[in-house]
Order: sequence, then C-alpha cells, then structure tokens
Amino acid sequence: MPGAAGEAPDGGASVSLSGPERSVLEALRIASDLPVEEEELAARLGLGLDSVRGSLQRLRSKHLVVLEEEHLTDRELTERGTEALRQGLPERRFLDALNRHGGRLTPEEAATEGLSEDERSAAIGILRRRGLLDEGLPFRLRKPGESDSTLLPEEVILKQIANSEGEIDPAIFAVLERRGLVREVHHSVKRWAPSEEGRRLPLAPAGEALLGALTPALLASGAWQTRSFRPYDVRAAVPYLTGARPNPYVAWLEEFEEILIGLGFEQAEGPLLETEFWNNDVLFMPQDHPARSIHDALSVEGVTGHPPAADLLARVASVHEGRALPGETQPLGPGWPGRYDPAIAARPVLRTQTTAVSARFLARHPTPPFRMFSLDRNFRREAVDAKHHIEFAQCEGIIGEEGMTIRHLVGVFRAAAEAIGIRELKIRPSYFPFTEPSIEGYVRHPRLGWMEIFPGGLFRPEVVRPLGIDVPVIAWGIGVGRLALVALGVNDLREMFTGDLASLEGGG
Amino acid sequence: MPQSVLSLERVLSLLPVRVTDSALDDLLFASKAEIDAREGDALTLSVTPDRLDLLSEGGLALYLAGVLEVAHGLPATAPKSPTSPPPRIDCDPSVDRLRPWIAAALVRSPTDAGIDVGTLAEAIRFQELLHASIGRDRRAASLGIYPWERVNPPIRYSEEPLSEVRFVPLDAEEEMTGERFFAGHPLAARYGAYGRLGDRCLVLRDRDGVILSLPPVLNSRAAGEARVGDRILLLESTGTLERTVRETLSLLLVVFASHGWTIEPVEVHRPDRPVDPGRSIVEPRTIDLPSTLVREVSGETLSAAEIERRLSRTRLNARPHEGGWKVAVPPWRPDLQTPIDVVEDVVIAAAIPAERGIVPPSRTLGRRLPEVRLRRTVAGYLLGLGFAAPHTPLLVSEASVARVTGADPIRLRNPVSSEFAYVRDRLLLSHLDLLARNTRRSYPQRFAEVAPVVIRDPAEETGGRTSYHASLVLASESAGFADGAAIADYLLRRLDVGGVREPAEIPATIPGRAARYRVAGEAVGEVGEIQPRILFEIGVPVPTVWAEIDLTALGPFLLRHDTP
Repeated sequence: MPGAAGEAPDGGASVSLSGPERSVLEALRIASDLPVEEEELAARLGLGLDSVRGSLQRLRSKHLVVLEEEHLTDRELTERGTEALRQGLPERRFLDALNRHGGRLTPEEAATEGLSEDERSAAIGILRRRGLLDEGLPFRLRKPGESDSTLLPEEVILKQIANSEGEIDPAIFAVLERRGLVREVHHSVKRWAPSEEGRRLPLAPAGEALLGALTPALLASGAWQTRSFRPYDVRAAVPYLTGARPNPYVAWLEEFEEILIGLGFEQAEGPLLETEFWNNDVLFMPQDHPARSIHDALSVEGVTGHPPAADLLARVASVHEGRALPGETQPLGPGWPGRYDPAIAARPVLRTQTTAVSARFLARHPTPPFRMFSLDRNFRREAVDAKHHIEFAQCEGIIGEEGMTIRHLVGVFRAAAEAIGIRELKIRPSYFPFTEPSIEGYVRHPRLGWMEIFPGGLFRPEVVRPLGIDVPVIAWGIGVGRLALVALGVNDLREMFTGDLASLEGGG
Repeated sequence: MPQSVLSLERVLSLLPVRVTDSALDDLLFASKAEIDAREGDALTLSVTPDRLDLLSEGGLALYLAGVLEVAHGLPATAPKSPTSPPPRIDCDPSVDRLRPWIAAALVRSPTDAGIDVGTLAEAIRFQELLHASIGRDRRAASLGIYPWERVNPPIRYSEEPLSEVRFVPLDAEEEMTGERFFAGHPLAARYGAYGRLGDRCLVLRDRDGVILSLPPVLNSRAAGEARVGDRILLLESTGTLERTVRETLSLLLVVFASHGWTIEPVEVHRPDRPVDPGRSIVEPRTIDLPSTLVREVSGETLSAAEIERRLSRTRLNARPHEGGWKVAVPPWRPDLQTPIDVVEDVVIAAAIPAERGIVPPSRTLGRRLPEVRLRRTVAGYLLGLGFAAPHTPLLVSEASVARVTGADPIRLRNPVSSEFAYVRDRLLLSHLDLLARNTRRSYPQRFAEVAPVVIRDPAEETGGRTSYHASLVLASESAGFADGAAIADYLLRRLDVGGVREPAEIPATIPGRAARYRVAGEAVGEVGEIQPRILFEIGVPVPTVWAEIDLTALGPFLLRHDTP
C-alpha cells in the first residue's frame, strides 16, 4: 500500500478502521461482561443493530473480534395448538360428550356435539387406541366416569409448552407435532469479544494520526516514543518471491560421483572436442567401425586436430595392423582389416564415450593400483526425442591392479547397484572392441523391471599395452543419464536440459 | 546391433531335445544373442557384432546344442574324399583396381537330395546379412553362391571390357550387354561403383566362358543360380580387404556346417603370388590357451576337465598341451583370434552369477579434481545469491549464434538439426536462448550456470580447448552494468583473486557498457549489458546484464593459493 505523500512507503499493508468499527472495538475492549450480545452492544453504543452487526462482521474479517454463537431450540404451540388448549382436544371434547350422555352416544348424537367430522374421527381413533372406548356402535365408554377428570398426556404436554415448564416427553411431542399442534423453533444468540489482535491493536487517541513506515528520520527524531504505529494486516498478500535450488539432475550426478569417490576412485576429465585417436583408435576401435561413421559421431568444420606423440601413434598403429609393438617380436593379435590411417587419428570429433578419458588417464602411466572415474558429457548424432538426446551423460570407471578379474568387475557392479539402492543384478556376455571378456550388468528396478545399466570388461591387451600399462584393467561405463531418469522419476530425457525457470526456482 | 528374423521352428528342428520358450529365453540371455521379438515362428534376434554366426538358424542351433550339451565340440566338416585335383580360381591381377581379393570354398550336401528350400533360403538371407554388416554394404566384401555341378572349372576372376560382357542377369529373362546392365539395372545403380571402373568391370567366368557373376553386383542366370536339389555349391567372396573377404566367406560356412555339409578348400592362383590353398578359410585354426590366463581373467580356479567341458559347450575342441590347451576354432568364429578371446568363451560358457562378484578392497583414496571442486564452489556461491541453476546442452542453435555478432563458435559438419548446430564458445549463447524461452515468466529473472564451452584453439591437440565458465544473467526493470559487475566482483573476491575491469568490446553487449576482467594480465571474464536489439529479438522486455567468468583460465591463480 503506497504511503501518504512525503511519507516513506509502508513495510506492509496497514490495518484501517472506520469510525463505527473503532467504536465497536473500543466498546468490546472495555466491556467487563464479555462476550456481549449484539443487541446489548447496540444498546450500549446507541447505534442501530444493523450498523453494529456490519461493523462486527468487518472487524471479524480483520481478525480483530471473535464470535461466540449459541444455537437454541424453543418449542411452542401452533395456532391450532393454542385453540386446542383453549377448547380442549377433540378426544377430550368427545369424552366429555360421552360422559354427558351417560357413557353412551349414537353417531347422530355425536354429530351434534360441536366437533367437525375430522375431529370426531380423530377423537374416536385415539380413544379406542387408549382403550377408553368400546368397539362398535353406539359409542360406549368402557368404564363410564373413570376418565372424565384425568388429564390426557397430550393435554399435559400442551400445558407444559404453553407455560414453558417441565420435561417434555419427546414421543408425545412428536405425535402433537404431526397433528400440527406444536412446533420447534431454532434461533441463535451471537455474542462478541475482542480477539488477541483486537486487544493489542494500537488505536491512536482521537485526533492523532498513526505513524506509517519507520524511517531513519523518525528514528532520529524520537517521535516514535510518543506516537503509535499504524498496524499492518499481516495476513495481506506480499510480493511473490522465487528462490534458487540446486539443479536436481546435476545434484543427482554429483551424488553419484560421491559414491565413487567413497569407493576410492579419483576423478578425471578429458576434452569434449576429442581427436579420433583418443576417442577411438587407442581404444582399438577399427577405423571403419560403424559407430565412427558420419551418421553416428558429430564432426566439426574448420578445426584441425593433431596426431598424438609419434611413438604412441606408432604403437597404436601396430596393434591396429596386427604387427608386433615396436621392440617386440610377437603381435598382440591380428589387428583389424585394412591399413591404419594416421590422418583419421588427427580428426576432431565430439567425444562419443567417456572411455576416451580412461585412455588419456592410462597414457599418463598411473602407478598401480589405480582407480579412476569420469562422469561427463558425450555426444552422438541422434535426433532428440523423449528417449534420445544428442548429448548424454556417461560415467566411466577403471581399476588397474594386479589380480583384477572379471569377478572383481561383477563385484564393482554389485557395489555400485547397492549404492543406488538396487539389489538384484544379473550378468550376461556382451561385446565392445576394447574389452575382452565383455559383460553387461542388468539391474532390476522395482517399477521398470530389468534394465541394462553396466557395460564393462577387461581392457584388451591391444588397448593397455600400447599405453604402457602392464596390470589388468577392469573398465565399465554407466548410462547415468538413464539412471537419473529413473531416480528422479522423469520420463523425458529432454527434461534434464529444461529451460523452464519456474521448475528450477525454489518457490516456482 | 546386427539383427535378423529367424525361423524358430527351423532352429528347434535342428535340436534333438525340446526347448521351451522360457528355457530359450534363459539360454539366450547367457549368450551374445538377444530376443527382440517373438511372433509365431518369427524370432527377431539381435547379436553383438562379434557373433554374426548366431544370426543364422544353423549357427544358432549349433550354439544351443552345445550349451544344452546334446552336441559337443566342433562339428565335423572335412569330406571323406575331397575333390581331386582341388578346385581352383584363377585370379587376374587386373582386379586390383577394384576388388583385389577373392576367396572361395566348396560345400557338399550330406545326401543326394541336395539342398532343400529352407537351407537355400537361410543361406541367401544370411548372405545378405553379411553383406550389410561385415561386408559394409558389399563395399568391403560380397558373397556369391553357385551350382558347382553346372560350372566348368577352373573359374577365372578378372577385369574385362564391358563390351565383352553378355549375360542373363539372375533376375531377368533376356541376355544383356555389360553396358546395358550397368546403365539400367537397379542393383548396378546401387553397387556398380564397386565392380566397374570406366568401361571395364569385374567378371567371374568358367572354363567355357560362361559368366557366373559380375561381382559384387549380381549373378548370372546361367551359372549363378543355386537351386533346390543342388548337391555341391561354390561359395565365393570378393572385396577390398583381404581379411574381411575371408571372414565373410568363413561365416557363411556355418549355414552348411550346421546342416551336416562338408567343406572343401578352393585354391586361388595368381601369377604374381604363391598359390593360396584356401585351407585356412575352411579348416579349424588353433589358438594356444595358457591355463594361467583362464585363472587370471576369470578369477576362478577351474579344473582342466571343467575348462575342456566349457570349451566343448561353446563348440570348440581343446587338446591339452604344455601349460594349457591347443584350442581348435571353426572358421565361422572370426571373433576368436587371440588367447584372451578364447578365455571369454570359457568365462561365458557357464552363467556368470552376480553373487560370485568380489568387491575389490579399495587400496586407493578417492578424490575430486581440484578444478571440479572450484566449479562446485562457484556454483554454490551463485546459488547462495539466489540464481536459478539451469543445465544447458553444449550444442547451441543456429539462431542463437546468428543473434550474437562477433561470436565464433565451432560449427558441426553434420548436425542433425539447426537446433544443435554449433559448439558454444561462451555460455551466453545458451543463456540468451534460455531468456527467449522464458519471456512469459515474470521478471526479475536470475539464473546462472557453471558448465563447459569449447574455444577454437589451433594449438590444442584437438583443435579446440574445453573450458569451464560460470555465467550469470539478471533481467529486471532495474538491471544494469553495475549489478552484473558487482556479482562478478563478488565471485572473484570470494575466490581471493584481484581481478580488474577494463573497457572492452564484447559481443552482444552495449558498446561502452561492457568490460573484460583480467587477473595478472590474463583475460578471465566478461560483463556487460545486453544489446536492446537482441532483447527485442528474443522478446525480453526488461534490461538485462550478463557476466561470464572463465574458471579454467582462473584455475592457475587459484591453485597457486591453494583455494578454494
């Protein structure tokens, strides 16, 4: 709410009272007989009841007064009931007539006794049900004279209601209500008292304005010592703020990294724009492998890469062509068909697998035992839809140590699966050009069933030997993007790259 | 993964025991084949690229019989009385210009009934699968199947003038010339370039001059059409890579070996080379398997009997030899080349139970890279300042690059779409996109990201340098240069580096309202108010300030101080 001219803006929406509202609130604050009925309040203030009621409702909406409402039920005679009490109930009048005629009355005589046909019919039915009247005609009292002075229960109730006295038999009341002689009337009594806020609300003395925002000038002047502040409506709407929270996808990936660090893995990174040498050749991927084609890998324009150091290039070329490593006599294997082309090795390409990072790590000749992981972006030439993205996250891990076997790789799968809360794992054979044996770990997700999550194997001699590594190296890669989808309950890969700020803001 | 549709009934008919659907599922889960679909008799199967042999009904049955232990080791394929003298192909060096390599084998039916319709169909389907996969769509290698009994050997493989070629193509009724064939036939349009150069093409003829085929395009009707009942077939492969030519032919042999056919070598004679007797293509080869390697790789101490049993299950023969075994490997297993390849077969011949896994005790200390710690720290500061944290792709759209005059990101040579066409060199490109996508959101908008960019750098090995930047954007009615600079100043201060601002011309910013940060003379960041032209283009109705710090460039200054 903007402040008055010359005043600092308020720090909140002010609570304002009209004159009648203020009077009503003041009257309640000084009343000693709380809560006070509306009518009483109106009388004390000399105001109209409607005006007081309106003020009370407005004060209530400002949380300054509280209402106690008592719901009451009164019983009263209807017009017919009043008439019945005065003349007597039809059954009483019929009984009196019978007694007047010595306890015997023909239908013709009955018709002359001042009762209407309906009243006669009702009276006869009631008296017979009570056992006072015999069956058949003429009408005969079963015990003449006995009941002429005894009050019928209905007569008792009618008198009680008329005089507002005594306990009323609900069953008989219900009968009388059905006969249209009595009715229930509901009404309430409203009593009011000031709320805690209403008691505390500063009310400036008559003729004095309340203070708005607390300003430095006000603080300095000391005026605050003698004047009251205009109260704020603390429930009024305030500006809608948004905040920031960690990106859920990134946070999940970081959590996954923490698991690996806990398992003794050191982190490594490599360039996102990579040469074909590191992306493929050093991993013993044949140079004509379909995954290296322009249909699968993203290549770039106007950028020239460089081949690696000549000795490393020569060693990798040797294994591709099935020749012995320089200085050795026996080839590690037959290599791949065709000539190894160093020009291809230097071509830049967007990295397609984090295994390239493992290769760069191994080329630095780490001292065994070593454990490395790299969780990073990779790229493939793929149209983007809910299940595919041109960019995907992969987590690569290797352990280089004497004695590492395929059973240790399975053990790593198990540990990683358990760390993300998955206990069921099964293993099947697989194939990758750079590992032998190659296996794949499937985990059972409680909702999605068996999922292929852990591809891995032992790096082939053709991979590690040219890099100068002599210990067995177990290697695995995890499609962490896919795992994240499951963990975050997201169905669309594109949501990992959401540009919707609303979903990224804490208050959004 | 290579995929094919097999006849399930045909596979099961080759097994002497009944196999239920669930048993088949389990057996294949433990193999390198995977069931993609099963509809009636049609079994859609994928295999890993090293086990193409499993994509023929015969090859799959051969494997299943092994793991079911109803058949053991290598099937016998050697003929009791081989053809004498051995069949031969005369290869003329003229073929060197197009497809220098040829290999062949003779397969002989175990019965006088010859080939049945099912086996012939299986062979032709598998042949096409091999063309598409290992043959690289016939470029590297292609196969031909011929009725040996209607051919008069020897066969001659040479390059000939088109004018001398007259034949009836396999799918035609009338004779045509080489010129007409290459000019009009649809298969010639697709594969002609691999078998024709100028006015000459590759031809296979028999002694009578009858054309068998024009490799790798099409066979002839006269001597290139195998028919039901043929008892002896010539299988031939030509191509550009010797090993691929031999492996493609070897793989095709599995169809016949699994149906009990015998296999004979075909010699290849060339005037400029020694005779290739062809035996290495059709006969099992031997790989030495040291017993220590099995233990070192599998992690299991298996008895010799168990290892031999496993090799037998995987349809290999093992003969004990000094320190291990001599393992006989059939021609249709080109994936088995070295001892480690054979160890894999030993490992997977039995199921690999997950519970046998050993979690290797950690003897190393896990740690984050210091530069990653720095990035996380900066991301935390930005979060603390209330900036939302998007995660944007490295690749940006053509539109986002076009709007920032002066940006020089690397362009993809083969983009899938214009949406992902460039590799960003600054996060600003992604973040302007983000602003454009959020114009319906209320303002102020504040977001920041720590993420990679790739900067063109000819000195780098890859031609580009991967750097990590922290970018922040503030769009609000009152946003101005000072707001962006205050935050960038704050970040540098928190990192304990004394950056200085100097006036600079920076893409996408208003001239005179942009600055470059330098630390010890090195450029480490930029800040500026975004040009109104760009804001108008992307529909942002409020002033916007952006700052971007190059954390990779900043790294050395921080690490020197051992921070953060």
